[in-house]
Amino acid sequence: MLLYLFKRLALTVPTFVALMFLTFVAIRLVPGDPVEVRTGERGISPERLAQFRHDLGLDQPVWKQFGDYVWALLHGDFGTSVVTNEKILTEFATLFPATVELSLCAMLFAVLSGVPAGTFAAVKRGSWYDQTLMALSVAGFSMPIFWWGLLLIMQVAVKWGLTPVGGRIDPIKFYFEAKTGFMLIDSVLSGQVGAFKDAVRHLILPTIVLGTVPLAIIARMTRSSMLEVLSEDYVRTARAKGLSPMRVFGLHALRNALIPVITVIGLSVGGLMAGAVLTETIFSWPGVGKWLIEAIGRRDYPALQGGVMLVSAIVIFVNVAVDMLYGIINPRIRHG
Amino acid sequence: MNRNVGRLLAGGVALALATATPLAAKTLVYCSEGSPENFTPALNTTGTSFDAARPVYDQLVHFVRGSAELEAGLAESWVVAPDGLTITFKLRKGVKIHSGVNGFKPTRDFNADDVIWSFERQGKAEHPFAKVSGGKYDYYADMDMAKIVKSFTKTDDTTLVMALNEPNVPILANLAMDFASIHSAEYADFLLKAGKPEQFDQNPVGTGPFSFVAYQKDAVIRFKKNADYWGEKALVDDLVYAITPDPTARYSKLKAGECHFAIAPRPADVAEIGNDPALKLSKQSGLNIAYWAFNVQKKPFDDKRVRQAMNMAIDKPTIIRDVYLGAGQAAKNLIPPTLWGYNDAVQDYPFDPAKAAALLKEAGVTTPLEIDLWYMPVQRPYNPNAKRIAEMMQADLAKVGVTATLKTYEWGEYRKRAQQGEHTTAQLGWTGDNGDPDNFFFLRGCSAARAGGQNLTKWCNKDYDDMLNKAKSSPDAAARAELYKKMQVIEHDEAPDMKIAHSIVYEAMRKEVEGFKQSPLGGHHFKGVDIK
Repeated sequence: MLLYLFKRLALTVPTFVALMFLTFVAIRLVPGDPVEVRTGERGISPERLAQFRHDLGLDQPVWKQFGDYVWALLHGDFGTSVVTNEKILTEFATLFPATVELSLCAMLFAVLSGVPAGTFAAVKRGSWYDQTLMALSVAGFSMPIFWWGLLLIMQVAVKWGLTPVGGRIDPIKFYFEAKTGFMLIDSVLSGQVGAFKDAVRHLILPTIVLGTVPLAIIARMTRSSMLEVLSEDYVRTARAKGLSPMRVFGLHALRNALIPVITVIGLSVGGLMAGAVLTETIFSWPGVGKWLIEAIGRRDYPALQGGVMLVSAIVIFVNVAVDMLYGIINPRIRHG
Repeated sequence: MNRNVGRLLAGGVALALATATPLAAKTLVYCSEGSPENFTPALNTTGTSFDAARPVYDQLVHFVRGSAELEAGLAESWVVAPDGLTITFKLRKGVKIHSGVNGFKPTRDFNADDVIWSFERQGKAEHPFAKVSGGKYDYYADMDMAKIVKSFTKTDDTTLVMALNEPNVPILANLAMDFASIHSAEYADFLLKAGKPEQFDQNPVGTGPFSFVAYQKDAVIRFKKNADYWGEKALVDDLVYAITPDPTARYSKLKAGECHFAIAPRPADVAEIGNDPALKLSKQSGLNIAYWAFNVQKKPFDDKRVRQAMNMAIDKPTIIRDVYLGAGQAAKNLIPPTLWGYNDAVQDYPFDPAKAAALLKEAGVTTPLEIDLWYMPVQRPYNPNAKRIAEMMQADLAKVGVTATLKTYEWGEYRKRAQQGEHTTAQLGWTGDNGDPDNFFFLRGCSAARAGGQNLTKWCNKDYDDMLNKAKSSPDAAARAELYKKMQVIEHDEAPDMKIAHSIVYEAMRKEVEGFKQSPLGGHHFKGVDIK
């Protein structure tokens, strides 16, 4: 098991090297650099331009810039934002809890709705419920997040007034210091009456929007996996033994059917991060997705490079963790 | 009878409750579009960052709310020396500096040291804060402050002398700009001693109508009313900036009552906002101009008849209608109509292809005439789609026998080449900085017509230029306005360019918001704004 873990971790090294290179190159392919973006019609004097470029290291050959970047990364230095002058790690740490909170809620929503829905569809295969669910899951999977988010905002928040439009908490009613960065926890710690409920209300729409795609995938995956398992001999045996349907489906079938579903959940973390970029923008959610979008606009090279590396690292490690989980969920799978 | 007694009792109880309960604090929520880079305007270049710091600071001179005219700020008066080389400011006494931010408690009122500190940070490399937070003072450099200002000297705590290298009246407008915000020198010392100078730009301390409370990146900025403010006090107790980058989300929040005021609604939403009984709109010309410059150093644009013909060949109203989609107004002068000195008597060239063709013939131009037409590769506040405009111009020009080849370059390269005068004709524009007409008219001055200068027409007219320089050194605003009006007539007749449009800036707010005055300079001020 340990050997397998080391192998998996070792395999992430080339991925990180490739990522470092790709993020470094990709942002430089976008026309304009941080200095250009700062200047308007007036332009900038050649002396000031040279000074700015020198300060940012942009006057160095590209291979040297890349070398310096990798060297700094190896020392745990993700650089400093050229826009705010803050350390990238500090900015990331400030914003990341909001993204984690939203992503966890979205995943929880997707799993808690998707697994039972998929299981039920498999059990009731061919029924109207099964067919409706499959149609909905195709719709959910192909739903453009931006459109879905705006639709929910206009209908649920603006027209019906059931939830707030955006943000993490009502800024008029509540004000407290962020202790953990997780609004659900901070609102409880604040002791302010109604703050937790308000934080939950703010989470509802972004959770649904971000969770819709993984929900659709999980529901479909659970259904097809369950159908496969339900035709296995041991399920037939369990039924023949006279076990209750709940025990047959819930204990014997579902546990085995969940293995591919867990893979999908692991892979969905990457999708969640991509979805968070849009969801956070629509719902004014102060997370890393929105931050990365702004970094592109401002050509904030360090923020973009550091942010992408950190997000990628998290996605990769979650996937390694999921691989390790297999062995725990299904003892037949052993990592040797 | 009994029922009436009951009503009276109920009324009495309600009244008692109402008087016993303290009045709820008024909070104004402004849905802004982004996070500031920091809270020191001198370090920044974006309107978003200026807006975020504006409640905290004052300047020596203020723009009158909703206008580009000047009024006294932290300087209650000033005197320009007869030779124009010194301006002596009398500073306000008893101005309190914000207390309690970041643990700082000021021991003195605002004085001349704060002014000197604020400018020297930007102008002197050896200043202890010169390099803090990156130390890039774009506006100080761009407004030529280092070239214009020789020194700031304190005569006493409330008298400050600004010595200039050359007479320059528009500098007073520079002093009202955000980069000229006055900081607390004592707060800087306090942070330096505490070993955390970088917090100076993150936790701002000033003398403004609101004091800073907290900032959470990408989420919210909080301010509270400065009860000790020297001038007109804020009418709300708390001011909250809810950072909402997406314009559709801002509009939704405004509709749902989650914010009282939203910046920059989408043109597509403007009509709906106007029809919503809970909302209201404010609109004004943006402090900008989009133009199409003719390089007068290249034939046949050295002939003013050709330039006038170009002005008549283009169907400007259609461009405004189809490209600006309601967010632009046709321009006939270089400055927008909201600025003082605007000459409304100037009549724009009519769209008249027949007359344009006749003028070209009169000028001896043989058709088809081949020209190049440059367009910016980027969207600008004054021009939402330069390429589309170029295509429409190309089609109009073809009708008068002019074949225009469209060209563009990467944005930095575009500006550089156009300023060098490589083009025959090129689109560009300008966004004003300080509301002084000189900040626009210099664009057609002889000094800017040099290779690499910002006068893309390379047009240099002695009469125009003499008036430009005279206006720059005259302290008499009325005399300056007259000169600017005459310059607009000359420039219109000479037609070194075709003025395309000024953008129209919309502001959306809820009906209960009162007292907002839209600034022609684009900034947002909430000092006199109330919620009813």
